[in-house]
Amino acid sequence: MAAFKSIIMPNRLEIALNPDLFDAEGEGIRQKAFHYFGIKLSRVCAINVLTIDADLTADQLKTIQTEIFTNPVTQTSSFDPIPIEFDWIIWVGFRPGVRDNPGSTAVEAVEDILGVKFKQGEAIYTSKRYCLKGKGLTSEDADKIAGELLANEVIQRWKIYSKQDWDNKSGIGIIIPKVKLDHKPVVMSIPIDSDETLKGISDERNLALNPNDIPTIRAYFLSEKVRAERALVGLSDPTDIEIEYISQARSDHCNHNTFQGLFHYQDLSTGHAEVVDNIFETCIKEPTLLLKEKKPWVVSVLWDNAGAGQFDDDHYYVITGETHNSPSNMEAYGGAITGIVGVYRDPMGTGKGAKLIMGGYGYCVGQRDYNGDLTPHLHPRRLLDGVIEGVRDGGNKSGIPTTFGQLLFHPGYMGKSLVFVTAIGIMPAQIKGEPSEQKKTSPGDLVIMCGGRVGKDGIHGVTAASEVFSESTPAGHVQIGDPYTQKKMHDFILEVRDKGLIRFITDNGGGGLSSSVGESALFSNGCEIELEKVPLKYEGLDQWEIWISESQERMTVAIRPEDLDSFLALSKKHAVESAVIGKYTDSGKLHITYNGKTCAYIDLDFLSSGFPQWEFDAHWQEPEKRGLFEPVVREPGDYEALLTDILSRPNICSREWISRQYDHEVQGTSVIKPLVGAGRDVNSDASVIRPVLDSEKGLAFAQALLPAYSAIDAYHMTACAIDEAVRRLIAVGADLDMIGGVDNFCWPNIQYDPEDNPDGRFKAAQLVRSCLALRDICLTYGIPLLSGKDSMYIDGYLAGRYGETHKVSALETIQFSTISVIDDINKCITMDSKIPGDLVYILGETGNELGGSEYYEHYGYVGLNVPQVHSRQFATLYRALGSAIEKEVLASAHGIYRGGLGVHLTMVAMGGDLGMKVDLALVPSAQVNRIDTLLFSESAGRFIVTIDPEKKKIFEDIFKGLPCACIGVITDKSGDLIISDSKNRGKSKTIISIPVQDLKAAWKKPFKDL
Amino acid sequence: MNKVNALVLAGYGLNCDNETAYALELAGASARRVHINSLIDGSVSLDDFQIMVFVGGFSWGDDHGAGVIQAVRLKTNLGDKLLEFVDRGNLVLGICNGFQTLVNIGLLPGFAGDYKTRSIALTFNDCGNFRDDWVSLKVNPSSPCVFTKGFDFLELPIRHGEGKFYSDKVVIERLFENNQVAMQYAMPKGSLADNRFPFNPNGSINDIAGICDPTGRIFGLMPHPEAYNHRTNHPDWTRDKEIIKRRGSVVDTGATAGIRMFQNAVDFFNKM
Repeated sequence: MAAFKSIIMPNRLEIALNPDLFDAEGEGIRQKAFHYFGIKLSRVCAINVLTIDADLTADQLKTIQTEIFTNPVTQTSSFDPIPIEFDWIIWVGFRPGVRDNPGSTAVEAVEDILGVKFKQGEAIYTSKRYCLKGKGLTSEDADKIAGELLANEVIQRWKIYSKQDWDNKSGIGIIIPKVKLDHKPVVMSIPIDSDETLKGISDERNLALNPNDIPTIRAYFLSEKVRAERALVGLSDPTDIEIEYISQARSDHCNHNTFQGLFHYQDLSTGHAEVVDNIFETCIKEPTLLLKEKKPWVVSVLWDNAGAGQFDDDHYYVITGETHNSPSNMEAYGGAITGIVGVYRDPMGTGKGAKLIMGGYGYCVGQRDYNGDLTPHLHPRRLLDGVIEGVRDGGNKSGIPTTFGQLLFHPGYMGKSLVFVTAIGIMPAQIKGEPSEQKKTSPGDLVIMCGGRVGKDGIHGVTAASEVFSESTPAGHVQIGDPYTQKKMHDFILEVRDKGLIRFITDNGGGGLSSSVGESALFSNGCEIELEKVPLKYEGLDQWEIWISESQERMTVAIRPEDLDSFLALSKKHAVESAVIGKYTDSGKLHITYNGKTCAYIDLDFLSSGFPQWEFDAHWQEPEKRGLFEPVVREPGDYEALLTDILSRPNICSREWISRQYDHEVQGTSVIKPLVGAGRDVNSDASVIRPVLDSEKGLAFAQALLPAYSAIDAYHMTACAIDEAVRRLIAVGADLDMIGGVDNFCWPNIQYDPEDNPDGRFKAAQLVRSCLALRDICLTYGIPLLSGKDSMYIDGYLAGRYGETHKVSALETIQFSTISVIDDINKCITMDSKIPGDLVYILGETGNELGGSEYYEHYGYVGLNVPQVHSRQFATLYRALGSAIEKEVLASAHGIYRGGLGVHLTMVAMGGDLGMKVDLALVPSAQVNRIDTLLFSESAGRFIVTIDPEKKKIFEDIFKGLPCACIGVITDKSGDLIISDSKNRGKSKTIISIPVQDLKAAWKKPFKDL
Repeated sequence: MNKVNALVLAGYGLNCDNETAYALELAGASARRVHINSLIDGSVSLDDFQIMVFVGGFSWGDDHGAGVIQAVRLKTNLGDKLLEFVDRGNLVLGICNGFQTLVNIGLLPGFAGDYKTRSIALTFNDCGNFRDDWVSLKVNPSSPCVFTKGFDFLELPIRHGEGKFYSDKVVIERLFENNQVAMQYAMPKGSLADNRFPFNPNGSINDIAGICDPTGRIFGLMPHPEAYNHRTNHPDWTRDKEIIKRRGSVVDTGATAGIRMFQNAVDFFNKM
């Protein structure tokens, strides 16, 4: 490309909103500048800039200006800078090589309307020019707004102009962010004369090879047999492409070395020691296979991109969950959109391909208003805003409803924030008479890459995710997902699938072709790849870069050679690029050539042989021995203020602003929405959709996150998260026996190091205990783990006030997702109270379990008595509740989650916009004598339900012998929440009496302006 | 009687094609999802259809303005065929991104038979964000709009970032004069939203949610009738069900308001 000499005169078109129109974008920036930095702007105008680097005539330019790029009603445009008043101007554009989605669609439109084809190297680039007005605005202010609000230096660059700097003739000038790689691709040979040499190369190239793997790698390439075989194809020492391939495949991200590790677990309190070999095998795989035997609805688990369960006779649903933490911490919007769009490729690459039907999200970040001394790469507020917007655009533009999500604040996530994304799809049970969940490659099948092209983006994303975040993490792994390109590919894949053309399909995610081709070739036992056939975004990529690039929106598909023509015809129809890049063989080898010359030749089974197992010391110490205790707090007097304040806590208050910007109804399947109730503004326990439009069956979906309990014991954190996610589904009408789960672990580094990770052994013990809880609870509830992932390094080093750095590790975190088929959606219920006069019941027992609670956190305590899950007893109650909903006895059901009874009674009242009067003395409890404990204990296994008084008898019969008590009644519209205590323990009888509308206002207040 | 044939556009980032086709089928039409390229390359002909639906979604990612590139491509490649389709007395419906496309092609407002002039914009919501919510809609009983016949008030979901109806005063006045304003955002009790958020969710001038051409056969609206294809789509359905149950009545499982809008289209041909 360096040789390409531009003789074209590029043009720059500026487009602005007519001044009489309200500039919502500018206004948003104005407000953020004030809220983020306290900078007062009087006005912001955003101008869109198109830099057209193509050989077009003046007439052609005029045509595209008026016909495409200028709305005659709302916009003005000009090839000269548009004169708009300003005090400062900020220009922001992409760095070279960063995906410019509007730039590509602009080319498409221009080619179409002009009937021309852009030549190699011609392009349209988009950027923005902002005109800022504000009294006394300084250049520092402008710099802050540019660097911390408008642009992210990882992917964008900016320029600032004062009034003096600005020349209204030349404007921003002509800036062409074209990638110019003055580089001839070359395969390097990697010396392996010693372990140290290879270790040195690993460090130099950022390969993150595990030192323990190095001898195994060397032994392979030094073996006589291997050397003899390699000599025949012209190779001796390993090539860079081979070492990169091994590095990708052996990374913790791809290979889950931690979960397959050997844990030397020791309980320091009892002296008990045991070896736990491979927690994946013992706590995830074995229980799930056991449950699969018993549950015929479990279709496909533990091997594919997503797990599959039976929806009905003709359909399977598929589900998987991912995290996209490291990239989102670097560039929040780009990382998050890439995350959601990326996880949506998993169902597309499950079985012979599934259609996407639903998505979920979970964000764990530092406090939004953090103003302490630590300086994370992105302030939590900015990071959160970016992440929310990334998932919004990724989900909405994919046409997939985002129906459930969570947001959790905790200072531990300042080190690394978590972005969970979950994808659910559906596929026909059979495709042309073949089982849809099965797929394989066969010798002779063609290897096809379809979707986007390959560039330098995303190189070493996988290995970066396997490292603790530091300033030297290469920025190159950040990318911007393109839902538009992927949506086209999605529609294309479904059509070729239904024609029976797909033999195998998988996505190009972490590791790129290296992973997708490597894994798919295991089925046929070999492949030959011609790397020069891979479509590139620009010339100059080294072979190893093509092989491991994580450029997005790509799938790898295997088809029969005779199907190629029909495949490519449909590819063309859907405007999706597809290229044959090789074929599957049964040679046992991964064989890669570039222009006919071999650059990789490796035994496919090498990766599954002979690598040493990772080992961890895991030391457990009981919470009491770690110095945890129950705080000494005497009972409060002002419960009204207390409840109101807890409702306004960041982890309890309304998040309506997020749910409303996520399209949760596209596809026309919505049954239970994320926000429900009379005001359509209170969170539902779970979401339900009707994925097959002409069927009355549904899919219920929910998630839970309870990391606060990890401060006491990750066993109970895990148990409670599973229990909450289960109860959420039960509350809308799911059947316990139909629930499947997805586990997403996010853990701080567990490898002990006396200096860098002194509590690594404790974190390792927490992981072992968490996995044991996963096994125990899933077995008693009977929940097969349909899918799961782990992300192991949620730590970061943050700069402090004096130039020092602090390692910040997040709490051990599991996000547990649940999914279930609903037999008849017409029987689903919501959590909101329905009708005055209805009776309020509590199901389940409240214990003295305030440890790790929101209540203690409110005072700054951790406590000791963490909630415990008595899964066998709970299961009986859940079945009874399931049967009550099936018999349509209930008017509403709601689980009691974070914040306890006080918070969740309020939710039920707010849901109905109705008053409620309850007596705490009637709450079933295990000798709880304090009102604060009754109100805020977070005991698991509980629900609040309301019923028609006429159903009292039928209802009570169903729950005979179970913890169940009527504690009060629903009262009038806009009534009060009245909580009293008839035991009257020396206090006034009425503890709380507040209008429900006031409680709602308090609950909505914190984020109401967002 | 032959079924009415409906063409539902698909591809290039559109995403409501499945449920729109389903809604049309429920309404009694025979619906076919057709990729934009199949229409452009002539492998599917408009001649075989009586209803054409421009569906919701993000065509071409909505870059350069919602519906703009879709409009350019269809205008460039189909141009006269679209006009002929309209001339033949057929129906055109544009929902959300489809509405945005219709105004960018110029099929709306279609004053005095001019189906080429762009005089209306659907631009960024005043709230500054994409928004998914249900809205109340007041229907103009005097409108010639085929799709809204028999309605006076209904609720539908909106899901868009660029739905603010905008035009100059002259155009707006003319739209009202011609009764082309078929549908306006309203308060839950039925009066006009009067630009109150979130009842008017995007800042549309005069609360305009949907307009038709002077013949009433071309209709564009921001709300999504196809997403109200089952009673359980309605946000209040669990509440309504409980109230109905207590009265001893049975839940009405007949056609939803969304489906009735499509039935109006089908009936238009069946009654001819």
